[in-house]
Amino acid sequence: MQLQRPETPEAAAAALGSGSVALAGGTELVPLLRNGLVRAETLIAIRDAVPRGIDGTRIGAGTTLAELEADPQIPQALREACSLAASPQLRTMGTIGGNLLQATRCWYWRLDFPCYLHGGERCHARQGEHREHAIFGNERCASAHPSDIAATLLALGATLRTTQRELTVPDLYRLPTDDNRKVTTIEPDELILELDVPKPEASTYLKAMDRRQFAFPMVGVAAARSGHSVRLALAGVAPIPWALGSPDDLDEATPLTGTAYKVEIARTLVRRAVEAVS
Amino acid sequence: MARLIRTEKEVEGRYEEVWLVVEEDALDQWPSGPGDIVGRAAPRITGRQRARGEARYTADVQLPGMLHTAVLRSPHAYARVKSIDLTRALEAPGVRAAIGPDALHVLVDEAGYPGVAVAAVAADTFDEARDAVALIEVDWELLDPVLDPEDAVSRGQLLIDPRRYERGDTERGFAEADIVVEAEYRTQTVLHNSMETHQTICEWQGDRLDVYISTQFIWGVRDEVAEELGMPPDKVRVVCEFMGGGFGSKNGAGDHTFIAAELAKRAGRPVRCALTRREENQASGNRNATIQRLKAGARSDGTLVALSGEFVNAVGWSGWTATTEGPMQMLYACDNVQTVTYGAKINTPPMRAFRAPGFVEGTFGLECLLDELAAKLDLDPLEVRRLNHAHAGDDRPYSSKNLMECYKRAEPHWERRHDARARSEGPWKRGVGLASQIWYGGGGPPSYAWVRLGSDGRATVITAMQDIGTGTATAMTQIAAEELGLPLDRIDFVLGDSARGPYASISAGSSTIPSMGPAVRAAAADAGRQIIEIAAQRYDKEQRILSLKNGHVTSSDGGSWPLAEVVGLLEDAQILGKGARGPNPAGMQVLTFGVQVVEVSVDTETGEVQVDRVAAIHDVGRVINPLGASSQVEGGIIQGIGHTLSEERLLDPQTGTILTQSLDHYKLPTIADTPPEIVTELLDIPDEHLTNLGSKGLGEPPIIPTAAAIANAIRDATGADVRSLPISREEMLRALREARERAGEKVAAPAS
Repeated sequence: MQLQRPETPEAAAAALGSGSVALAGGTELVPLLRNGLVRAETLIAIRDAVPRGIDGTRIGAGTTLAELEADPQIPQALREACSLAASPQLRTMGTIGGNLLQATRCWYWRLDFPCYLHGGERCHARQGEHREHAIFGNERCASAHPSDIAATLLALGATLRTTQRELTVPDLYRLPTDDNRKVTTIEPDELILELDVPKPEASTYLKAMDRRQFAFPMVGVAAARSGHSVRLALAGVAPIPWALGSPDDLDEATPLTGTAYKVEIARTLVRRAVEAVS
Repeated sequence: MARLIRTEKEVEGRYEEVWLVVEEDALDQWPSGPGDIVGRAAPRITGRQRARGEARYTADVQLPGMLHTAVLRSPHAYARVKSIDLTRALEAPGVRAAIGPDALHVLVDEAGYPGVAVAAVAADTFDEARDAVALIEVDWELLDPVLDPEDAVSRGQLLIDPRRYERGDTERGFAEADIVVEAEYRTQTVLHNSMETHQTICEWQGDRLDVYISTQFIWGVRDEVAEELGMPPDKVRVVCEFMGGGFGSKNGAGDHTFIAAELAKRAGRPVRCALTRREENQASGNRNATIQRLKAGARSDGTLVALSGEFVNAVGWSGWTATTEGPMQMLYACDNVQTVTYGAKINTPPMRAFRAPGFVEGTFGLECLLDELAAKLDLDPLEVRRLNHAHAGDDRPYSSKNLMECYKRAEPHWERRHDARARSEGPWKRGVGLASQIWYGGGGPPSYAWVRLGSDGRATVITAMQDIGTGTATAMTQIAAEELGLPLDRIDFVLGDSARGPYASISAGSSTIPSMGPAVRAAAADAGRQIIEIAAQRYDKEQRILSLKNGHVTSSDGGSWPLAEVVGLLEDAQILGKGARGPNPAGMQVLTFGVQVVEVSVDTETGEVQVDRVAAIHDVGRVINPLGASSQVEGGIIQGIGHTLSEERLLDPQTGTILTQSLDHYKLPTIADTPPEIVTELLDIPDEHLTNLGSKGLGEPPIIPTAAAIANAIRDATGADVRSLPISREEMLRALREARERAGEKVAAPAS
């Protein structure tokens, strides 16, 4: 395996695709490589190519979760989401750009079952063991999106700039379909460069997990208020970060037998989050 | 003098008559209470080495020319190998040897569980070995797995005949009861997940075999390997200097050791076989799941009149059926007890001993049931336990038992429940629960130690035991130091090599201190006697007025000589002491006891449970190192919290594939899950009948009552009956919902 270290976004983008994948903090990519879920002949280390740092509402995609967690310019919800993600060691390495593109923790997908998300016929989790799985958007694939950060950026109304375009967080994600099983719209040779995260009047991120730290979200709830409008988004409840139009939208959940409890937890966390920002 | 005796040996709670060669244990116990060194806190003598990365674990052993192994494991829960072809693997780059089911008995052609070893490859690097394993061609015949233990029991697919026990007349007991409570409890499969995975390096030296292994039993590995390979036992040398955890999973040699030995023979090179974390979470053993249908009958004052239990142990494809029924039979005085235990054979990885196997699971059921009974009768759970205290064993007396004293010491912690409940706020309800503990922990013979003392006045204690991370080496050094009257830093402790010391006990069953400690003390006393003989001659004193203290030989008539001066004339001569573990007290049960009191907070809207405080009070005889002992207690409780709240091995219900192979899915507790306060209180009352120390073991007792105490605290806080481990958010919310339904629409509140 080769390692390249391009110094500009253009050079990095040109090097990507056809057997080359981008390496930032490595906290997600290295285990995927080790377990054979991603194959690469060349790793493109993008640390020197992608902006890093915080300037007002603008965040370089190479900024680490640890840096975001500590910076007072960053909206409260995002700081909380960072501090509740992973462990201090991982937050020191993991970048916000990489975090948005991380794969599901679904055990069937991680163990390389020939599941729907891997291009197969059916979702193994729906009939199998699925306590960690989705309550929304789970008809074809019941995997749960693991990013605390992505749901928070969705609630905050963040926008992204890549090497090819500007887009919103909802534009970044898609539910897998029969003809395309990907959950993001990012191209193989496209890099996220920068985010713009508007500062709300109040925001918070609440997270339920299986232990008190160092776990992916069972249910994460981000709430951001600007004026009278509160925007809500959930982590760990759908194959992609899930925007909730209003708390009542939880009535539309389609939980599996083993994920009904997540709806109950989501109701409480949504209520608490709305109270906290109101 | 060596004696041949016919005596009883306790094996998994059963007593067998065996012949034993033992040596007299002629030493009187030390007075109770702290001595100069024993009974006082000592930091680990290996702490600095461990902290600086200088300690050599098996994972650190690198031998010149060493090869690495990758193992082909069955991806199926139940399947037969119709054909297997190693040709392409043998031709792959770096490969030096490859073996399949025809080469070795531990490589199977009928896979009874996912992860069982089928073939193995040794190559220059692990990556090459792994790539070569992917080239092995196997034609599988798939069979229908049985994964549900109840299904296995109903088909009669059992590993042992159902184990039945009865005393008294249970039917009559229940008929005479004022109240009967019944409940079904379930415990999950949990994994040991030692920090150091199972691993062995084998190196042949002509007809001799060196085995470097992460093990809890150096001598057991020696004998197992020698027998399997048809070698004289002493041709096998077993080395384990530092060990990264076992918890019962490393009592035997393990498949990986035989794989390494065979590959090393074929390749003519040393071979390492080390499990990856994923392999560790599939094929290195587990605490099996249980289903417990329990029933208790009592008089209205809380006196137990009948207990019965049906226990299903989901043992796996092989393994033994742990005594899940043990606590029900042993913990309380109850005339009428009936149990039946099934060992279900299913297509899951075999169980292995895991820190108090059976009793952790059985105590959860029994101690929850007892609290449900107390709640129904509106009685104080602590008083119910006192009322039913077993003052004597059924047919053999206890060598010592101070459980009532443990209950007394529990009172101030138990009293905190009123304050705890009063601190409930909004959705957060707080409460306190307790549970009792009973277990073995008496150890036994044989075990030996040697002491060597030279003219510099330093002593070396030698025994081929292992320190599995519990602080054994420190405790043994303290015992020798106390007996020799030497400061700790003038004693070296040598362990970990079967070629460099005498036979030593397994480190399992809470037996290391009670088995090894008396042998070390006897060896030190033997050396001490010789020092005094020399001093008596040198200074023309009577031996009976001389003693060893603070690095000096002192005389009761006022003389005092530094030890180095006394033995300085030895030059190259050495004082050699030897000691052996004497027999256990005949006709007695040697048991450990205790009680834990736990405070919890429960978020009744999200099902989050936090353990706020644990007080652990245990009766384990004399305490050698209070600091090491409290570490053991804390470790047991933290592991118990993981078992209670977050850990669970999960299977795909269709294929039997283990889904929780990595540590993001298998959720061990983190430091944040550790309660802010763990109070350890050890009674420190020597068992006057047990050895020259009066010490019992402490490895297992602290994990036994934790789950039940947490569940009982949750009931105290919320009124909800949790009956299934782990108490996940899902289980907690279910129990809360059930409690609400029971109490009408009113949220159940604790009786105050």
